[in-house]
Amino acid sequence: MEFDKKSLLKLGKLARISISDDKLNNLSKDLNSILEFVDQLKEIKTDQVDPTSNSLNQKLEVRDDKVDTKNSAEDILENAPEKEMDFFVVPKVIE
Amino acid sequence: MKDSYTLKSLAVLLENNKISSKELTSEYLKNIENGKELNCYNTISQEKALIDAEKSDERRKSQNLRSKYDGIPIGIKDLFCTKGVTTTASSKILSNFVPNYESTVTQNCDDAGLISLGKLNCDEFAMGSTNKTSFFGSVKNPWKSVNSDNELVPGGSSGGSAAAVSGDLCVASLGTDTGGSIRQPASFTGTVGLKPSYGRVSRWGIVAFASSLDQAGPITKTVEDAAILLDIISGHDEKDSTSSVNPKENYYENLNSDIKGMKIGIPKEFRSDKLPASTQKSWDECANLLKTNGAEIVDISLPHTMSALPAYYIIAPAEASSNLARYDGVRYGLRVKGNDLIDMYEKTRSEGFGDEVKRRILIGTYVLSSGYYDAYYIKAQKIRSLIKSDYVEAFKKVDAILTPSTPSTAFEIANEPSDPVQNYLNDIFTVPVNLAGLPGISIPYANDENNLPIGLQLITNSFEEQKLLNVAKNIEETINYSETPEKWWLK
Repeated sequence: MEFDKKSLLKLGKLARISISDDKLNNLSKDLNSILEFVDQLKEIKTDQVDPTSNSLNQKLEVRDDKVDTKNSAEDILENAPEKEMDFFVVPKVIE
Repeated sequence: MKDSYTLKSLAVLLENNKISSKELTSEYLKNIENGKELNCYNTISQEKALIDAEKSDERRKSQNLRSKYDGIPIGIKDLFCTKGVTTTASSKILSNFVPNYESTVTQNCDDAGLISLGKLNCDEFAMGSTNKTSFFGSVKNPWKSVNSDNELVPGGSSGGSAAAVSGDLCVASLGTDTGGSIRQPASFTGTVGLKPSYGRVSRWGIVAFASSLDQAGPITKTVEDAAILLDIISGHDEKDSTSSVNPKENYYENLNSDIKGMKIGIPKEFRSDKLPASTQKSWDECANLLKTNGAEIVDISLPHTMSALPAYYIIAPAEASSNLARYDGVRYGLRVKGNDLIDMYEKTRSEGFGDEVKRRILIGTYVLSSGYYDAYYIKAQKIRSLIKSDYVEAFKKVDAILTPSTPSTAFEIANEPSDPVQNYLNDIFTVPVNLAGLPGISIPYANDENNLPIGLQLITNSFEEQKLLNVAKNIEETINYSETPEKWWLK
């Protein structure tokens, strides 16, 4: 697979990053170079190998289900670009 | 300013009232001011640091110290969230972000009485190995080649953390390491950089890049200082479910440089014709030195070494694309107005992220997308298993592994390759350690023909930080590396 203009714009949509026309050429060159580099892994046989997602062999602990007063609405909204009452404000979604 | 300042020596000076925390903090703040050209700090906490220093001096007077190191100022990578102090990850998208909570690691430092001088520059979201991807511009390496006046990269991503220690803009610093981001810049700046085992140090409150690989660690002038700082920052944290429940050790107290009877592995896959002759020479010399000091040198094989870097450049971007989805202009950080919600997301992320971060998000999105997930992401995770089992086998035969830290010494800022893959090769010796979750340390060994530091890397099995530090201490004691950069920025 190679990144061309169309597939790159689709990828940009999936990642929610708009890509301007003047960046398309360099970006497809860079991404194709990275893809070519990682494609060398295809040569290695891994049929009998299990994947590792995390190197730590530790059972995840379940924490106590208890109420605390951290993470108040006020704290959470402190850095909001736009807020109203206890809500984040975003552009209108429903017409 | 005395170059011999270390955490250890400053603790003694403070204890004997030879210097106060306020005097010491002022001295470093002056060094930071005089070293502005190095661009090490994104934020200088001038006022807060001096207030904290006065408080420490009061604690000392009333014999109410938080630790032996109470009152020593350090620098913090701008990736650790610090309450009330801007935390940017060197990105435009977080350039206005002031957290209202404190990361566990920086809280641990505060609990020990350490004082923060400010937030250190790094590659944007810790993605890079030159510090050039920072929104706030490159950090300059305090070192220069004797054959050129051109400015050199400090390495990355913890470039500010390493350069600041090397240039005496702090005595020690905190960095993070996802694929070499502590060890590689330490190697480029003649400092000691330690990446602990995955899980040894809490990741809570650190801006996430690749969560299965990220670890915080110290950059210091000496191995002893690395042990001191690791003692302070490590341990289980209930806020990070991947932090280890293994009890932490007293690394500094138990430092023991006796390596008699230890077996040190030299992996043949790390040998390369492309390695500079001076690096190869240092590596060989160091192996001989360890042998002279009583260790046995064993040739070992880590067969999947060359697959580590391509596997990393699938796994790390995949995790990054997921972690960085949170930067959408809704809850915090930059917001760029758009015609509708989706348009706002796309414009915010397009303007807020730099080129390297975008490349990694796009690659990560691609390898996780339907139809490619198995071929790339699962494949890379299987390769990760193979790499891990290489090390499991190796550590049945040896106590520690010795390699170079980097394939070159520091290079010119202007000479950074334009092809991203060429840049990725900087981390070829450090990345496997992250994939396997092991601890690794880079220590300065010698300077090359251009008078630039050469770093060597030691690796041990998971949670064998003590052994790692002991071998590093042995090397440090024997070679007594004492080179410091000429302070050209003061002229």
